[in-house]
Amino acid sequence: MKFVDEYRDAELGRALSAQILATVESGRHYKVMEVCGGHTHTIYKYGVDDLLPANVELVHGPGCPVCVIPMGRVDDAISVARRPEVIFTCFGDMMRVPGSSGTLLEAKAEGADVRMVYSPLDALRIARQNPDRDIVFFAIGFETTAPSTALTLKRAKAEGIRNFFCLCNHVTIVPPLRALLESPDLRLDGFIGPGHVSTVVGARPFEFIPKDYGKPVVIAGFEPLDVLQSVHMVLRQLVEDRCEVENQYTRVVPYDGNPRALEVLAEVFELRPHFEWRGLGFISQSGLRLSPAYSELDAELRYPVPGIRVADPKACQCGEVLKGVIKPWECKVFGTACTPERPIGTCMVSSEGACAAYYNYGRFAREREVV
Amino acid sequence: MTGYHSTACGADGHCITCSDEAFEMRVVESLATGLARCTDAGGRDAEIEVTLVDDIVPGDLLLVHAGVAIARLPAKDAP
Repeated sequence: MKFVDEYRDAELGRALSAQILATVESGRHYKVMEVCGGHTHTIYKYGVDDLLPANVELVHGPGCPVCVIPMGRVDDAISVARRPEVIFTCFGDMMRVPGSSGTLLEAKAEGADVRMVYSPLDALRIARQNPDRDIVFFAIGFETTAPSTALTLKRAKAEGIRNFFCLCNHVTIVPPLRALLESPDLRLDGFIGPGHVSTVVGARPFEFIPKDYGKPVVIAGFEPLDVLQSVHMVLRQLVEDRCEVENQYTRVVPYDGNPRALEVLAEVFELRPHFEWRGLGFISQSGLRLSPAYSELDAELRYPVPGIRVADPKACQCGEVLKGVIKPWECKVFGTACTPERPIGTCMVSSEGACAAYYNYGRFAREREVV
Repeated sequence: MTGYHSTACGADGHCITCSDEAFEMRVVESLATGLARCTDAGGRDAEIEVTLVDDIVPGDLLLVHAGVAIARLPAKDAP
């Protein structure tokens, strides 16, 4: 298949691996963060890290939309979902994220009308089919997903649909990266930038990383050779003492993103003063809410939601994992009390969460190492 | 979009909607008001919102996420 096979070619992978080995300086340790959970998934699924020298360490970043949803927002979702007039819709993985008293899936088992959708447009379709019910879409995701929600809200408004509402949890990628770069307990040498977020926002928003923090960034695609080549590009910048934004994913990402998508986002959403991120705490201007022009579609204004901040379970170390301070297997409950079947923390829920990705693909390799 | 969930939440349990990942679809025909019928590499059909990409014609390859085309991909042979 075009655009797939050529990016999974084992021969090319081995050649790139040899180039990386030839590029790195022995005696120097390189710590590179892949920002996006999709990259984490690719790295573990295809064993990309096995092709890297021991002194190149990949650190898994906060770019997994499910993983960064705090427990309090899940509680808010469940409180709305339990209302008898509501059909509550959300993406698949979101149904398994634990709040302080269970998941949306458990609420469904107890009688709440919770339905999985692939797109907010599916939720709008349910609204058209059920004019006597309130349909609430639980919107999550970075700038890749936000345009889909925005266009759906525009359609709902244009069609005069009065029973469709959005519980908005969309977040933006730049503020958490800045927060990570300001974090005193994290030392990173460079970043693999998020490919599909950049399709929308472009590569330009990441220029602050080399400019203000002196670190290289390479926007990367999601096939294994994309990731491997991007690691090589970051390492080459480091060895050559350069730092800039490079775009490995030029076949998809324009440097300035998708201006039409950015216009729609600016029309439908506005920045919240602050938003809570799982493990990272409150980050100012990092979350989106509906703009005043769309307030009648805002579920947070329509229903009373608890809005209570809930601390993560003590045993859970998702925060440290999301910041790359510890590896998934270093968490006390990894693979024992916390598994994909029964997750305690969000990083174990979604398969691009660092813990679930490692649990599904990487733990066997580590078990071999330990033996 | 009925029946499309199997692609969105892949066989390995990977939910591409939750993961902010997009995938390729080819335009089959334009429909009314910013929609197009598209097909993925597995031959599955879906109605996709195409407002965010320039005028599309059958055969165009799009990058689709959560039911919305967020970019047009360079031309290439059929998948």
